[in-house]
Amino acid sequence: MEQGLLTPEDEESLRQIASKIESYEKDRKNLIPILQMMQETAGYLPKEAIKMAAGYLGVAECEVYGVATFYNQFRFHPPGKHHIKVCMGTACAVKGGGIILENFERKLNIHAGETTPDREFSLERVACVGCCALAPVAVFGETNRGHLDQETVHGHMTPSAVEGLLDGIAIEKQMKERVLKRMEMEKQIEERVGNVDESDG
Amino acid sequence: MAKFLVDNREIEADEGTILLQACLDHGIYIPNLCFVKGMDHPSASCRMCFVEVEGERQPVPSCTVKVKDGIVVKTDTPQVRQLQRTAFQLLMSVHDVDCANCPSNKKCELQRIAKFLKAPLKPRALEIYLKEPRIDESHPFLDYYPNRCVLCGRCVYTCGQRNAQSFLAFSKRGFNTVISFYGAADLSTLDCPNCHACVDVCPVGALVLKEPAKRTVPASSDLGLTPKPLEV
Amino acid sequence: MNRMGNKDPDQVFDVIYKEAERRNNEFLADPAPKIHLGMATCCVASGALETKKGFEEAFAEYHVEARIHTVGCMGHCYAGPFVIIDHPASGFPPIMYNQVDAGKARMLVKSFLVDGDPQLEYVYGAMQENDMLPSVMEFSRFNKEKRVILEKCGVIDPEDIYDYIAHGGYSSLVKALKLQPEAVIQEIQKSGLRGRGGAGFPTGRKWEFARQAPGQEKVVICNADEGDPGAYMDRLILESNPHQVIEGLAIAAHAVGARKAVIYVRAEYPLAVKTVTKAIHQATRLGLLGRHILGTGFDLEIDVFRGSGAFVCGEETALIQSIEGYRGMPQHRPPYPAIKGLFGYPTVINNVKTLASVTPIIDHGADWYRQIGTENTPGTAIFSVVGNVVHAGLVEIPMGVTLRSLIFDICGGIPNNKKFKAVQIGGPSGGCLSEEFLDTPIDFDSLTATGAMMGSGGMVVMDENSCMVEVSRYFLDFTQKESCGKCTFCRVGTHHLLKILERITKGEGRDGDIELLETLARDIKAGSLCGLGKTAPNPVLTSIRYFRKEYEAHIYEKRCPALMCRSMIGYYIDLEKCARGCDACVAVCPVDAIFTTRNRKKGIDQQLCVKCGECMAACPPQYDAVRRVSPPSLVPYVEKPPQEEKEKADGEISGG
Repeated sequence: MEQGLLTPEDEESLRQIASKIESYEKDRKNLIPILQMMQETAGYLPKEAIKMAAGYLGVAECEVYGVATFYNQFRFHPPGKHHIKVCMGTACAVKGGGIILENFERKLNIHAGETTPDREFSLERVACVGCCALAPVAVFGETNRGHLDQETVHGHMTPSAVEGLLDGIAIEKQMKERVLKRMEMEKQIEERVGNVDESDG
Repeated sequence: MAKFLVDNREIEADEGTILLQACLDHGIYIPNLCFVKGMDHPSASCRMCFVEVEGERQPVPSCTVKVKDGIVVKTDTPQVRQLQRTAFQLLMSVHDVDCANCPSNKKCELQRIAKFLKAPLKPRALEIYLKEPRIDESHPFLDYYPNRCVLCGRCVYTCGQRNAQSFLAFSKRGFNTVISFYGAADLSTLDCPNCHACVDVCPVGALVLKEPAKRTVPASSDLGLTPKPLEV
Repeated sequence: MNRMGNKDPDQVFDVIYKEAERRNNEFLADPAPKIHLGMATCCVASGALETKKGFEEAFAEYHVEARIHTVGCMGHCYAGPFVIIDHPASGFPPIMYNQVDAGKARMLVKSFLVDGDPQLEYVYGAMQENDMLPSVMEFSRFNKEKRVILEKCGVIDPEDIYDYIAHGGYSSLVKALKLQPEAVIQEIQKSGLRGRGGAGFPTGRKWEFARQAPGQEKVVICNADEGDPGAYMDRLILESNPHQVIEGLAIAAHAVGARKAVIYVRAEYPLAVKTVTKAIHQATRLGLLGRHILGTGFDLEIDVFRGSGAFVCGEETALIQSIEGYRGMPQHRPPYPAIKGLFGYPTVINNVKTLASVTPIIDHGADWYRQIGTENTPGTAIFSVVGNVVHAGLVEIPMGVTLRSLIFDICGGIPNNKKFKAVQIGGPSGGCLSEEFLDTPIDFDSLTATGAMMGSGGMVVMDENSCMVEVSRYFLDFTQKESCGKCTFCRVGTHHLLKILERITKGEGRDGDIELLETLARDIKAGSLCGLGKTAPNPVLTSIRYFRKEYEAHIYEKRCPALMCRSMIGYYIDLEKCARGCDACVAVCPVDAIFTTRNRKKGIDQQLCVKCGECMAACPPQYDAVRRVSPPSLVPYVEKPPQEEKEKADGEISGG
């Protein structure tokens, strides 16, 4: 079993979880609400959180793990920065949702349920998101420190739209990086100029 | 006391006894895997112990029927056998048939059922699907073989009865369901090597005690500690 | 028992109603134009938030005094976001506009609100009969519907309890509280209401069992764990009119003798969770929930439990397991929840639609309800009609309407001049029906007789390009993933069904597969523990029964007659029709499988092609050169020029 791998964000989330858990009555019936709170705080269920829930409610860890693995909602790995959900509801499936999912998998080179190695993207297949009239549908979520910030629904998806959306994100990222780089350079230049001024003075 | 008929034979048992139990007590064998004597609400999950009860439209699992005066039960009808054979075939289609290398060879419930139903151990019509990994060795004292397991849940039930709560649990869902030891590495204070109730109750050879040399931590009894008192 | 002494609920409620009426009158008397804007999940997904912003910005820009009234969903998802503009000063009745984006919103503010011109070409219909504009009531999508459950959805603001009360809300609860619980149960029994969760068990009987079950503590649960991957009416009701469900739940609790209730909502429905939680707070604040409801001795506390996404939790015993904090695995019944349910207490579990029906039944009486629908199934049914149909969305119809009328009259039939092929009813537990069943009346018994079932109300309409084997595979894929894994038949059996269907759709079907599917399916139905397993084989059994030829074509001819199964089709470009130099298909191909032939037309590299169909959609209609065939051996050979020649050809194009 892998140990460690906790990022500073994870540790902060665990601290928050530890303080939030106190507000729940110590009763087995609160197990699922507690797990939901944990996932909302950390973005997924770290091992440490499962242990904490088990200890708090006085049930075996395997029991908590058993419950958590039963439900679709719970994740055991952190999601990517861009969390993509592809709808596989009936309407979407009839209108080619499978092809959309396949295109995401091909473009991102991961399978549904996985996260890209650089933690930029994660891909999930979901049952109906309830936008059947817009089928096929993909939902883009921006995650920030694990929890979901904002979700955008993209309707009437096509394979070329998959490419367009992903390229759009990549371009945006490049632009941001370029802006940051330029700012950094300007700062450096400024500092250097400042230094020169000082040495002059 | 209730009097009732099983395959035209009159049987007496306390009213409210579980039918399967009453039949087994009277030497009438009905194939079963998930039932443990003394359960008050059997899980009825293995779907082997079907019988026909007069008045019911379809065969019912006999572990879910309570004995009542005058009920008429048939254990050997074509419909019952059809369901039992299919259930058995389904179980065998996810089973790694390697009896010679299985500790439960010759005392295995699956072998007994196969003989009873005159059914082959390897299903003819169905593909075989096995799980990976083939052994879960994460428990300090036990090994788990998912491709032998029939997911009857006897081990989970029994461990729970012994220890107030079970240190084995079902995990994942559907076809991927397995018995999990999650967190068990930290439970070295448990007295599994002396208890092994879960191993004993397993109808197949899915749970096996690790040989002492292969234990990842010494058992409390190895260290000369007093074993945990067990209920029952 | 009651220290406060019973007050007359009528008097207590009257104060609340007066306040609601006052607020409503104030709203109506306001001369400013009102924009009613649907803001449920589906409308938000199609851009309602931007629309709202568009209106607000336009108000500021043109200095218009107007009010935005956010309402729930009206079910017309095919044309969202929907907007109704009520501008009394213009002399026009309230007008409905469809697909209103921010730009259209701006335009409407300028021309209608400022200049008084309602822009006839954009009008969908007027909401009232009038001499100036066609009214929506002339469309069968509107006039053939009968809204009992959805009556107030899309009309009232779901976040404002006074809006609900002003529209007649909570008066049924007052009525019920003045009746003895037994009398309420009797009224529901007389109405013939049957559970809308799928199985159609008489609601009154269920309540009676729980009422008569021994024990002081009892529980009622509202089941909103809508898991059918193509149905979303429960979500819509909770998002658009949560109080009607809460009121029904309170009436049920009064009838059964429960003081605790739970609403079990899927966590995937965040807006529904939010709306319903807010509604409970509002109702509690007004004394419509909580202690001494409306001054009587009746107490009721409602909790919201968020389900974590397991389809099987729609099953009563699994749902209870899940609330108690366990894996949602169904338990053998008996004991039925009505006798021994949540935490061992007698428990009534009703679907959202059932509870939402209780409220109008108590309001208008059982006799009124019996006039709607059929003898054996009174009332209405809600379907979410999706797939290859013109007006997709939610439809509420009286029971007994035929499938033909629902699909062709109300929902506008099949788009793109294609032929109707089948309709799948009841979601993963339902079945596929062919054309000959179109005159089946919609009610529990008639549908069950065909091998399909009412189920959750999901309805997928399929045209000639839908493959029945593939559709069965889709549903089995779903149920197989959602099987809880407890019992052998469902856990292993559905896996085998899926694998066999998968190999058939991949062109690897074997002789005997159809018979194997049939035997397995029948045994799974008979042997499974819970409703999920017992109904999971329905899509397979019905599609084999009504579309056996299609299975045979897959297995014996390796051909998909509907041209849908991707391993059995091929795309090629008709060189007669392909236009020289046109690159439309090349640009969209996700895998660069399209090459230029020697004479500068296009060909598809069959090795690279993933058969997504993008090129077919992209090919300009005047050429219409892309062909789809099955089996793929029908694809004619087109020579691909070697690499250097290709470059040469490309060079020529850019040079010429």
